[in-house]
Amino acid sequence: MNTRKAGSQTVLVIGGGVGGIRAALDLAESRHSVVLIDKSYAIGGLMTRLDRTFPTNNCDLCTVSPHLSESGRQLRIDLKPMTVVEQVEGVAGDFNVTVKTMPRYIDLDKCTACGECAEKFPDWVRFTPGLDPRAPTCMRYPQATPHAFSVDANKVTDFDALEGVCKVGAIVPDDREKTETLHVAAIVLATGAELFDPAVLDNFGAGKYPNVVTGLEYERIMSASGPTLGQLVRPSDGKRPARVGWIQCVGSRGINRADVPYCSSVCCMYALKEAVVTKERFAEEIETCIFYMDMRTFGKDYERYLTRAVDEYGVRIVRCRPHSVVEEPETGNLSITFATDDDARHKTEVFDMVVLSTGFRIPESSVALANRLGIDLNEHGFAQTSGFAPVATSRPGIFVCGVSESPKDIPETMIQASAAAAMAGAQIYLDENEIEEEEFFPPEQDVSGMPPRVGVFVCDCGSNIGGVITVSRLVEKVRSFPCVAYTEAVGYGCSKESMNRMEALILEHGLNRVVIGGCSPRTHETKFQDMLRRCGLNKYLVEIVNIRDQDTWVHMDRPEDATHKAMKMLEMGVYGVCRAHPLVEHSLPMNKNVLVVGGGVAGMNAALLLAGQGLRVYLVERESRLGGIARNVRATLEGDDVGRYMSDLTAKVQAHQKIQVLLQSIIVDHKGMPGRFTTGIQTGPRMHYMQIEHGVTILATGALAHRPGQYLLGEDDRVLTQLDMDAKIEDDPESVRGMDQVIMIQCVGSREPRNPNCSRICCQSAIKNALRMKALNPEMQIYILNRDIRTYGFQEDYYREARKQGVQFIRYEPDRRPDVRATENGLVVDAYDDILGCRLEISADAVVLSTGLIADDETTEELSVLFHLPRSDDGYFLEDHVKLRPTDMSVRGFFLAGTAHAPKTIRESITQGQSAAGRALTMLAKQWINLGAAVAKVDGAKCSACLICVRACPYNVPFINAEGYSEIDPAKCHGCGICAADCPARAIQLMQYEDDQILAKLDGLFERMN
Amino acid sequence: MTDIFEPEIVAFCCHYCAYTAADMAGSKRISYPPNVKIIRVPCTGKVDAIHIMKALEKGADGVYVAGCLEGDCHFKTGNLRAAQRVRRVKALLEEIGFDSRRVEMILMSAGMGERFAQTAREFTEKIRELGPNPIRSAIQEQARRAAG
Amino acid sequence: MITAVRKPMEEIIACVSPYDRILLVGCNECVSVCSAGGRKEVALLSSALQMHFLKQGKTIEIREMTLERQCDPEYVEELVNYMDGADAVLSMACGCGVQTIAARFREKPVFPAVNTTFMGASERQGVWSERCQGCGDCVLGITGGICPIARCSKRLLNGPCGGSTKGKCEIDANVDCAWQLIWDRLKALGLEKRIEDVIEAKDWRTSRDGGPRKIVREDLAS
Repeated sequence: MNTRKAGSQTVLVIGGGVGGIRAALDLAESRHSVVLIDKSYAIGGLMTRLDRTFPTNNCDLCTVSPHLSESGRQLRIDLKPMTVVEQVEGVAGDFNVTVKTMPRYIDLDKCTACGECAEKFPDWVRFTPGLDPRAPTCMRYPQATPHAFSVDANKVTDFDALEGVCKVGAIVPDDREKTETLHVAAIVLATGAELFDPAVLDNFGAGKYPNVVTGLEYERIMSASGPTLGQLVRPSDGKRPARVGWIQCVGSRGINRADVPYCSSVCCMYALKEAVVTKERFAEEIETCIFYMDMRTFGKDYERYLTRAVDEYGVRIVRCRPHSVVEEPETGNLSITFATDDDARHKTEVFDMVVLSTGFRIPESSVALANRLGIDLNEHGFAQTSGFAPVATSRPGIFVCGVSESPKDIPETMIQASAAAAMAGAQIYLDENEIEEEEFFPPEQDVSGMPPRVGVFVCDCGSNIGGVITVSRLVEKVRSFPCVAYTEAVGYGCSKESMNRMEALILEHGLNRVVIGGCSPRTHETKFQDMLRRCGLNKYLVEIVNIRDQDTWVHMDRPEDATHKAMKMLEMGVYGVCRAHPLVEHSLPMNKNVLVVGGGVAGMNAALLLAGQGLRVYLVERESRLGGIARNVRATLEGDDVGRYMSDLTAKVQAHQKIQVLLQSIIVDHKGMPGRFTTGIQTGPRMHYMQIEHGVTILATGALAHRPGQYLLGEDDRVLTQLDMDAKIEDDPESVRGMDQVIMIQCVGSREPRNPNCSRICCQSAIKNALRMKALNPEMQIYILNRDIRTYGFQEDYYREARKQGVQFIRYEPDRRPDVRATENGLVVDAYDDILGCRLEISADAVVLSTGLIADDETTEELSVLFHLPRSDDGYFLEDHVKLRPTDMSVRGFFLAGTAHAPKTIRESITQGQSAAGRALTMLAKQWINLGAAVAKVDGAKCSACLICVRACPYNVPFINAEGYSEIDPAKCHGCGICAADCPARAIQLMQYEDDQILAKLDGLFERMN
Repeated sequence: MTDIFEPEIVAFCCHYCAYTAADMAGSKRISYPPNVKIIRVPCTGKVDAIHIMKALEKGADGVYVAGCLEGDCHFKTGNLRAAQRVRRVKALLEEIGFDSRRVEMILMSAGMGERFAQTAREFTEKIRELGPNPIRSAIQEQARRAAG
Repeated sequence: MITAVRKPMEEIIACVSPYDRILLVGCNECVSVCSAGGRKEVALLSSALQMHFLKQGKTIEIREMTLERQCDPEYVEELVNYMDGADAVLSMACGCGVQTIAARFREKPVFPAVNTTFMGASERQGVWSERCQGCGDCVLGITGGICPIARCSKRLLNGPCGGSTKGKCEIDANVDCAWQLIWDRLKALGLEKRIEDVIEAKDWRTSRDGGPRKIVREDLAS
């Protein structure tokens, strides 16, 4: 699988949504070169258009924007927007890819995103269609990457005029399509999908009635950066709706014209989220109601989100498939007609707004792209992968992640993206001797003890600053500030020419501190920090004063006041930077060994991938053999042979020279810091003690097959679990063939108070076994008693097939659970059927319980204490960020895979195993551990060991050391500064934001005023 | 010079939410009074009670601390700590007969450019009604006497 | 530790207002730990005073100092160079610290800026509770490690009294009945029987009743 040819070192990532960005970042951090292309003019994809994300209901922009700017800044990523693939030739490790870049008519290196062009000629620039009338702008969201505009040449009638407004000369009227050939080792496909346009349906009124919107349009209406600036109003009359209804599965899970048969996997959660956020913001004022077929909240902690939505927020949910939506012409209100299971009559309810939960569609362009890439698609148009190679397409060297592979939500996309990056990176041979970037900068001069010589450079940013205030006048005033040795107006400070000039001036005038008056440090700090480093100055000796975004842009109409404010802001900056001192980003050599805890599917996949990269892996397994819970599974829903896969995988792991397998082993102690851990292990029957030095740890300790003592399980051997039945079908087909009537009961021991979450895997296990039993005996009567059928994604195909083959699905509610009795003639199950409206008594040869998984509470508790890692309430390990960092843990250097994270299928465990390996590689690729500089530092002499910092730190980092004062490990400090502000002895300072710097800024502001 | 009082206001803004919201107000060109000067901190949890007191002592007419919405703090609970400290400073100010309305804690998300501008407008207006920081007048008076 | 809370500003202001130059002294021990008189509180008080007087049109000079431990003469000696520049001392330490300064610098007025409240333990961040009254004759060994002197409102040695309701004290429903706690703890230790033993009347001379107390360690004293 590893074709390590001397050849290209580059990976091509197609698609700049969150999946593509994650894959590109992972690869770049693993020291691979990446070309990231996107057909759009800015990266970000779908996620940047969402208002808030479930299950935390956090604002998306602030969680995703650091990721986006990260990718804009990674040195190893060559970002090519407006670019598509034309042709792919060659083989894995050695592809030649022809790409075509559309003309942007704007020079990315010159454009400073000032917005001048869009201001003057709003019609000539693109903007996001649909509900987003945010012209003038063609930046899709304020933190757009690349931070530059684009021009719609079709609409431009006068290019000269457009050129005229651009002060930096970034307009390129004769920009042409460019075609080039990239030599790459691997390709990651992350093009995602589109959302279904419900206007083609004639029954729900989309595109016809203004108050019928799609889920995404509703997100835009709620979004603070959306067309209504976050005001929830309905499109027809701008009034706040009092009743909002959601219709699920619009265009998905259907067999009619314009429908797709699969489940889009995300719509139940997003509808719930939209309803909850509506409730959160408007509480009693707005009624919310979701019309659904099955409530598919199968993800980690999603079931609890559903419970909260219904019980705490009062979101009403109605199980039905609405028939139609009709508008009342006078009011614009909408009536939804529907029928429920327990009532044969049609009902109608009136809403002010209706949201259609539309799912994913693979666009034609993606099908065409697949043809050019030469990869197979499945019947639904998604990239075809095999059961146990979840991110590998049919063409070696081309990998896939995100919605291109199957419908999925953001965390699953992130997991898969890291997995695809890891697999793609494995195609490349890495030269260990390559010099790291840091060394390209000259050595830093020692400025300690030198009086501050501050250089102040003020940008005019074209008319953005210069058009409001007279920069030259400002510069004159600044010259009189204390410690200022040199000032100059620099035009576009971030342009290459200006940077060169500033560098020369810094050296010529012996400046040792710099203030830039320009735009936001959020976007440009790194750029100017690098400029200082090129001059041999510490990067923390620069202060960016945001006179564009926070002054001239907002006080355009008051130039005098804007000038005065800019002066004050610069004075604050000068005073502040005088107190700045060089900060060292501590570093230590990285230990490149890996500890994998847990030898199941996830652990073994992670171990193999990392060992394949030449790293030493210690694989610790508690049992006396490898395999974990998957060893008990015979087949997957898709019919793949799990037994064979497991024996192959185990054999490969055991044979690998770089993997040391430690069976019957447990972790007993642990110390160290990320990149340099030491872990004690007791191993073998004699519990021999040994210590392992390693840089990262992957936790893949799995979960337990649940066996609750319900429904006679363990008392009557005709009552089995799905896992028992899976084995029985394979090992004793005759006895199964002899069965006439079988009943399955879903959600046994899941979705109940003691184990409130959904076990995710049981619906498909039930359907898998039902289909296999039907294959053995087509006459067999199978009843599946269920609460919702959660066959997400393509599993829906098998659900449909089961129904076609006559498997009966009977709904039960938790307050009317079925009852199992053992009689002389066999088992009897009592169940209430909603549709018939009466109790049924069904006799059965066997009752199969879908008992799912339960967290291995004992193990996760022990390890969470040893490793200082958090767990969720139900005993699974808790990832660092449930949305964007599902494989990382809150302690750096720890990664999570498989069912120790949450219940998942074998295929999903493989993906996360590969993902954990990929995430680990981003750390292991570094020779040194950078500990950063913005960390809290304790002055031991002042500390009174009061424990306040110990208790105040949100990450439990400070501790009282053996010398009796507080110590904060810079490797673990997140740099929030809460401890510094709480310390009663003023013994703690947050570097880069020290008290005297903040007070100096206040001095700068008030000095002359008084 | 007209008689309209132009207050000097300090806003301690967290990097992740309020400072970003201020940038957002900029990119949307939403205008607000120029009286507000921002000091950027990684998290409002870093804003010390002393910073707020010193700002007032040095002459600020109003101070506000602007952090993330509840539950959105990038450092989990820094915004809540900041709110507690602001409450404490207000109580201390009341004790010395100083109008505590000059100090506030304000929450907003990164996307809320309009809210940032609105806050700046409202706070400036409020401080304008409260009039100049009595300390600042005293400092200026002293300076005049020293000079004269 | 010894706990304290800052005095009302009005009282502090009244004390220092006759003076122009104040030496404001904190302590890095107990009062720092309970956030009443460490470096941070010194800075806040200094700022608040400064603001108050500025508002009155008066400038005062406040020098901030925080000693390692104000109740030890050697540390207090560190103030010697600053005394000439001060008209009065404002101490944020407990009463012991205030008195140590007063004893060393007899000619300077010394004012307490905090009320020393009790000897207590921290329950959690920001919450302290009284645990000891320094009676000089510890009974914790027979009361299951819960002090009836400090924690029973009546200091009963043989409780509980009739005012104990559902484990709470009649004087305040937020206060645990110490004797209920003692009973629970003895039960947990399997020593229920002990509750029936009568604790004899205490000789309060070891406490305040015997007048000011002193410890002299012959082996250490010089």
